[in-house]
Amino acid sequence: MVKTRRVWYPFFLLVRHPVAIVLVGLVVLFSLLYPQRFLTTLNLTTILKQFVTLVLFALGPSMVVVTGSLDLSYVGIWMLGGVLVWLLTPVLGLFAICVFPLLGLGTGFLVGVVHARGKVPSFILTLCLLVVYWGLTAALSGGYSRTVKGYEFITASLVPYIPTAFLWSLPLIGAAIYLMVRTRVGLYLYAIGSNEEGAKLAGIPVEKYKILAFTLSGLFTGLGTIVLFQHLGGSVPVELNLKNVVWPLVAIVLGGTPLVGGSGGPQRTLLGALTFSVFYRGLYLSLLHPEILQLLVGILLIVSIVVGARGLRGVEIT
Amino acid sequence: MVATFSWEWMKRNAGTLWPLLVACVIILGFQAVNPTFLKYEGLVTLVYAMSYFLIAACGLTFVIMMGSFDFSVPSVLKLAALFCVMYIEKLGFWAIPFALLVSTGLGLLNGVLLAYLNVPSFMATLGVSIVVEGIGLYLSKGFLHIMYNERFRALATTFIFGLPSIFYWAMGIWALCTFVALCTPFGRRTYAIGGNLTAARLSGINVERQRVYVFALSGFLAGLSGILYMAQLGGGSMLIGSDMSIPLFASVVAGGTALSGGMGGPHRTLLGVIIITWIQSGMLMLALGRDIQMVIFGLIAVGVAIATMDRKRIRVVK
Amino acid sequence: MRRNDTPVLEVRNVSKTFDTVVRALDEVSIAVYRGEIVGVVGENGAGKSTLMKILVGVHAPDRGILLLGGKEVPFPRNPKEAAQRGISIVYQERGVIPHLRVYQFLFLGHEEQYRGPWGLQSERMKREARDILDEFHVVCDVESFMYELPLATQKMVEIARAVLGVRLESRGKDVAPVIILDEPTAPLTLEERRELFQNILRMKETCSFIFVSHIIPEVMEFVDRVYVLRDGKLVAHYDLAQDAVTEEDLFRAIVGRESLAYTFEARKKTVSSEVILRVEGLTKRGCYYDVSFELCRGECLGLFGPAGSGKSEVLRTIAGILGFDGGKLVIKGQEAFSGEPPHVRLERGVGYCSGEAGKELFFHWSIAKNISIVNLKKVLGKFFPVIRFGVERSIAEGVMGKLEIKAPGVHAECYSLSGGNKQKVSVGKWLERSPDILLLEDPTIGIDVGAREDIYEVLLEMKQKGISFILVSDDPKEYALLCDRVLVMRGGRVQRTVSAEELQEVAVG
Repeated sequence: MVKTRRVWYPFFLLVRHPVAIVLVGLVVLFSLLYPQRFLTTLNLTTILKQFVTLVLFALGPSMVVVTGSLDLSYVGIWMLGGVLVWLLTPVLGLFAICVFPLLGLGTGFLVGVVHARGKVPSFILTLCLLVVYWGLTAALSGGYSRTVKGYEFITASLVPYIPTAFLWSLPLIGAAIYLMVRTRVGLYLYAIGSNEEGAKLAGIPVEKYKILAFTLSGLFTGLGTIVLFQHLGGSVPVELNLKNVVWPLVAIVLGGTPLVGGSGGPQRTLLGALTFSVFYRGLYLSLLHPEILQLLVGILLIVSIVVGARGLRGVEIT
Repeated sequence: MVATFSWEWMKRNAGTLWPLLVACVIILGFQAVNPTFLKYEGLVTLVYAMSYFLIAACGLTFVIMMGSFDFSVPSVLKLAALFCVMYIEKLGFWAIPFALLVSTGLGLLNGVLLAYLNVPSFMATLGVSIVVEGIGLYLSKGFLHIMYNERFRALATTFIFGLPSIFYWAMGIWALCTFVALCTPFGRRTYAIGGNLTAARLSGINVERQRVYVFALSGFLAGLSGILYMAQLGGGSMLIGSDMSIPLFASVVAGGTALSGGMGGPHRTLLGVIIITWIQSGMLMLALGRDIQMVIFGLIAVGVAIATMDRKRIRVVK
Repeated sequence: MRRNDTPVLEVRNVSKTFDTVVRALDEVSIAVYRGEIVGVVGENGAGKSTLMKILVGVHAPDRGILLLGGKEVPFPRNPKEAAQRGISIVYQERGVIPHLRVYQFLFLGHEEQYRGPWGLQSERMKREARDILDEFHVVCDVESFMYELPLATQKMVEIARAVLGVRLESRGKDVAPVIILDEPTAPLTLEERRELFQNILRMKETCSFIFVSHIIPEVMEFVDRVYVLRDGKLVAHYDLAQDAVTEEDLFRAIVGRESLAYTFEARKKTVSSEVILRVEGLTKRGCYYDVSFELCRGECLGLFGPAGSGKSEVLRTIAGILGFDGGKLVIKGQEAFSGEPPHVRLERGVGYCSGEAGKELFFHWSIAKNISIVNLKKVLGKFFPVIRFGVERSIAEGVMGKLEIKAPGVHAECYSLSGGNKQKVSVGKWLERSPDILLLEDPTIGIDVGAREDIYEVLLEMKQKGISFILVSDDPKEYALLCDRVLVMRGGRVQRTVSAEELQEVAVG
């Protein structure tokens, strides 16, 4: 009988999540650099807002990344869903917002089936879908960014300094983490990401669970975008901005979910999103040129993948 | 020879035959709708639309042949164009080698990230393209830069035998690429890595170096394509060609270079590019907007990816 | 004493045919009694894995009956049904899921019974996992990740998982578990093997094992009875407790007595005194220790020993696939370093030819292309580095003629060839390359006698041209035929050097 080791938990956290050190370091650094501007309620609220945006986008896809695949369709769901809400609100009233979860669910299921049955690499599949949704958004909206009124109650301020969207995101975050940590579905997704053939040998219906992973990802993105839609101003752009696609990915990878899958998950993504928000906000305060910021984000993405990919010798990477 | 045109022969060469068939159907279809489609004016437009595209697609073909993916082609293309237009007054003719050097360097960076730092190529090139967009936007301040140097513009727009010179550039590059892919050790090694990575290593191929070379080639051709495109267009900004990544990918795969790697080649890509540009110009003729075009291209890309994927050889698709 | 019991598991006259041509199993009957370890041995392709797959419900047999505890039951249709009847398998590789915790892995696929109101009852799972690991004397923390465990412990957890699967699926019915171990020691180091076997022997009271292997010393040491399969037929059955069986007997039963028409006399002494490869005290921890030898030009050196003796690892180290921890490797007077990839070794003059076609060939390429990929220098033009297709073709035709490769032409794609012809293409490309040293790992595995003879002939011819070989194989006759000198390895160390004549006597006599 071997005793379970007990390590002082914060220490354990730092060892297992090196990004936590980065986070603490960044907070200290920025607090020292901008003592008047960084640790203000306004700034912290802004960081929290940014954090919510990232988390709601990245929550679903991080489940897919756990299986080793990639889901880039989240921005597409947000854009197309927004336009559908704009189209349907005159018909359905406030129920039109239900378009988001339905669209997410449908998209996720579709992607899952095509990926699992057609064996198309998921990144290219979801990328194509993203472009299709972008095109549909532009076509349906007539080429203009449309604002929908009537959903302001979603983000109406409840608690001072804390964005309401953050409160809304809490149950979603909880559900995602519960699903991945406590249930059979989560366990199987980790198993598939860790060793797909082994999972098949262990009797797990891998194809079914891959479809389920994408469906869940779509559903969580759909539910998240209900909040995000209003959080980001009640309208959607008709131009695809690459940064919307990449930032959640940075949050996932930075949090410590390796792209080959098997470990990490939504709980890690929270950490990644928080670190990224602090990083971005700190740079923003430095009054750097916004394009330089984008460049730094790209470098951050590459560096975090490089760091996350260390020790992966033996895995075939293409 | 009669015996070769059997059902077996057709099944074996399906990869070449079906794009041909599709091309014929498309020509007939558009010709039926619009009789000027195959006239001289139509042809010149078509040549302008496909030439720069073909050059970039050739580079991407090598990467896909090798089983990897290069997402950064459009961004590198744009950056090279921008460099050229911004520095042609200052540096004169030397702006061209400078732009080519930069784009080849970016390709090298992609290759190094994949080969030596174990970053999956899709993510590496995504990160690099974000960095590139950042640099481009910073340099251009988001404006369109107009090219006034007529001698430079003549590179692409001089008419020889009734066709613009960019067409001859493209055909020259295409022929060269085909030659390299089919008749040189460089091409053999590229196919080998895509076909069977283990066997390639054991056959004494320096896989890492070859991957870097292929990505550098892709960067170089993207840069060349950008320079000629800019000479043709007369101006460059980071906003041109923002939606060309999907048609580019679709044209490579539609030609018969499957995402699973090890098959196809630049010779096939010509057909793919012709099909895609025909579809594009046909859609323009039918007055379909850019948005609908994106939808159609996205669907085509997914369709051809599913159709060409070699499912027998690849056990696990992520 | 066992003969009077009813066996827990018995199959009678099982036959299985794939594609109506290959008879994978032909009237095979085996029985397993309670609390014993039964060995099933045979070469690759002898039908071992087909039989096991029938037992766990992956394949359905054409004919035959299955008896469990004396009662006839239908064959299981899937692994779950097999587990319900008490049969479970531990796969050779890829069975472990590295990122799961031990208790999660133990119950993977059987979570239905552990669903609670708040998700999976992980505390209960951990408790029961600890119990079962204690029962089997596996020392590990149920909360650690699988990848943190040493490989032997991982294997033990897998075995525990198989037993657990039977217990959970059979739902309290008294089913005696029969656990199939498919080459369980393949990835393990020698110390780990010993540990694993001690654990398995302790588990004998609770369950029976079918031990699939081709590592003869292990079989001799740990197994109660052994069945030998060859070409889908049961050719021998020994009770190791009663019959006096030697390792050689078992070896001969596995390999069979098919006679090679090729005569040994054709060999001339062609070994020169020039040392081309020197290995001094080469060590890779856990695989082999302190291996030293010299290889002369034109010599064929065999590394002989049971699987797991470190012979393949030594070969792969020289090929550049594995690194080494200590010692020196001197190729043609220049020291080679650990961590050099295969292409650097090839530049130094060391080629590696494996019997696994998937490691050697590009299946969707033509024969000509497969041959020229390692001979690009020969194929290129003098002034322009361009592939000359005429030269490529004639080289390929030469190779095809020499090895008598049966194919429609040099442009036939490799996947359409038979196993023997595929192997001939692999050997042929190295024949054309003619590296100074060619490392052969199981060069004739799983191919028919005719193809073997053609390959041997070509290898001997290469030897006379001054190419040195290092051979690793399972077949002692191959050593007798090709080698001038054989190093006998056991337990990761070189035990003695044997001349070819001595080995020939062992193999033939």
